[in-house]
Amino acid sequence: MFVDLLIMLVMAYGFGFLYYGLYRNISARVHGRFGPSLAQSFYDSIKLFTKNTSTDFGWMFFAGPIIMASGAIMTVLFIPYFNHGERLIGLSPYGNLIVVLYFMVLGPLGNALGVGSHGNPFGAMGITRGLTRLLGLEMPFYIAVVGLMIANESADISTIMANQAETYNIIAHPLLFIAAFISFLGFLGKSPFDVVGAPQEVYSGPAVEFGGKFLALALSQSAIFSFAKLLLMVNLFLGGADSLWDLILKTFVLFVASVFVGNVYGRFTTAQSVDFLLKVPTVIAIVGLLFV
Amino acid sequence: MQKGFVAYNNEQKSLEAETEGIKNSQTLIQKAMNWFSARSMFVVAYGTGCGAIEMPPVFTSRYDIERLGVVGVATPRQADIMIVSGYCSLKTLRRVIRTYEQMSEPKYVIALGSCTINGGMYWDSYNTIKKLEEYIGVDMYVAGCMPRPEALIEGFVKLQESIRNNTIQPGYIKYREDYAYYQANQEKLLGKEIQPVYEEDYAGMNLS
Amino acid sequence: MKNLQKTYEVTQKAERLFEVTIPQTQFWEAMIHISTQTEFNTLSQIACTDWIEEEHFLLIYILTNDARDKNLMLKVTLGREYESMPSAITLFPQAEVMERDLHEMYGIGFEGNDTLYDFVLEQWNDLPPLRREFDTLAFVHEHFAFKGGREDNKDVKVEQKRRREEAKKQKALEAEKEEAEKPKEPETDTEETQDKKPDTKEAEDGQ
Repeated sequence: MFVDLLIMLVMAYGFGFLYYGLYRNISARVHGRFGPSLAQSFYDSIKLFTKNTSTDFGWMFFAGPIIMASGAIMTVLFIPYFNHGERLIGLSPYGNLIVVLYFMVLGPLGNALGVGSHGNPFGAMGITRGLTRLLGLEMPFYIAVVGLMIANESADISTIMANQAETYNIIAHPLLFIAAFISFLGFLGKSPFDVVGAPQEVYSGPAVEFGGKFLALALSQSAIFSFAKLLLMVNLFLGGADSLWDLILKTFVLFVASVFVGNVYGRFTTAQSVDFLLKVPTVIAIVGLLFV
Repeated sequence: MQKGFVAYNNEQKSLEAETEGIKNSQTLIQKAMNWFSARSMFVVAYGTGCGAIEMPPVFTSRYDIERLGVVGVATPRQADIMIVSGYCSLKTLRRVIRTYEQMSEPKYVIALGSCTINGGMYWDSYNTIKKLEEYIGVDMYVAGCMPRPEALIEGFVKLQESIRNNTIQPGYIKYREDYAYYQANQEKLLGKEIQPVYEEDYAGMNLS
Repeated sequence: MKNLQKTYEVTQKAERLFEVTIPQTQFWEAMIHISTQTEFNTLSQIACTDWIEEEHFLLIYILTNDARDKNLMLKVTLGREYESMPSAITLFPQAEVMERDLHEMYGIGFEGNDTLYDFVLEQWNDLPPLRREFDTLAFVHEHFAFKGGREDNKDVKVEQKRRREEAKKQKALEAEKEEAEKPKEPETDTEETQDKKPDTKEAEDGQ
């Protein structure tokens, strides 16, 4: 059991950073240049762990990234990796989809607590943007997930995966998939919904006072979190994975799709994001609900 | 190869200084840490003067420096390297020092342009400083007015080599150990209060 | 324009540049009259020249018209000993920043302008630096120290040539040394080597 959990965590960490390196390379080719090596994100996070700490903002500043990391780790551990229910299912027998959705909110919350302790106005601006954007992102995603729960009459991820043996949910409920994919882009932090950490506007928003080890923890939790969200989408809509290669293939396809969309669009402001997300994907999700 | 190319290379070499230093010894952990520090660098590019125009081509598609592992970040707290690009007036120097002290160690400074070396074009101005190394610890000078992006990339490569082989004493260690010297220079030029003063009646403005 | 030429003596300096010199006592009435009654209704810049030989400052108010194709210079003289002028803020709000700049650089006071504090120079407690009695070079040499090593300050091409010639001399010396140390060759080959040697020497001289 514990070995399973450890393997899941290590896989999430490794794949998360590998995909982030791939994202940098694909973006670079889109821009017409060569990017860094694929393992560059690993080097970044290891180098950040070796830096000294130079700030003293109190204990809540330490607690912020730790809460973010714990949110990410718990999300990953409650999502089963494979759909045959034997290995690498983690803690999913003990908690269902609703628990996972709760843990997904823990990231920005931990960030907000950490930012409140140092009082930099740019951090506060970034956090307000983040939490406002979260309002918009949650609506279509939760409606789509509720639609799936109604269709499968269960909130258990394994059951939803098992019911996709004949057709994947992406074909059975296409409108729900479209709504969920649009807000999934925002959860991954891709354009057009990446207003939170805008480097030139708010000096990377919530991460403005994060140096050395805090930034390393924030980057690591971001990698684990994005892999967890990819996995959730694969389990809910693409039928889960049978084997390791299946897992890699499906997460990679979904990831590349989100990267291509992200590279094409510019950035929405916060008001525009929430405006858009509460109109178009929500309506699509509600219409999709009618067909469930 | 054409003859002209070979001749340029030999002449250039005869005029360049020796840049390979003595490799000091390092323990295994130090070696690993230095390797990672050299392999991934976060830069806060402080565009103090005209040199700021030579940094965007280096960081974007044309002379892409991300393939060397160097990426630009937004705040000094997240950065390893600060590029001081051009002349520093007294007003800017206060902010540069403040920024330098906000970075966390190990940190390096690349001074771009001739103005940081010996005053450059503005050597006879009452408001710019002549030698940056009197005020903060500098690791690498890239000479030129302005140096081309290729020169800046070579500066980065030489800095990476010197970090990996531990050939120079980094500026931050000098700054930490010799702080009395730097502080004396800063106070002599800038006065006792180096940070910009925000709370009180600053220079006649009533900020309350 | 004709309105202007009736009351003041206007000289044309260039195709679009006109100039009027006004004594200080009549300056404000002139300014108000010109900016309200003629086409030159907005202020473009306030410039200042330090005439240290004639012991006055020359302030130039550059006014321009709506179409932005004609400029009028209003010249007025001011004493050098920290005299002050009434501020032009009431007529042109943009004069606030210009007067702040002039106050910092020349020491001219402007009554009615509240923003005459530090602008470009922070915590400067010396002479206003653009006055001509401020010796910039002396100030720089007193406050800053330069690096050594530029005393010889050679031209790059000269230095390259010198190094190339030294390298050649060094090479010639070494070639001579090698020849002196070469062991004597056997007799049978002397004719061939003697035939060969002059050819190579000629080739070297030719280069």
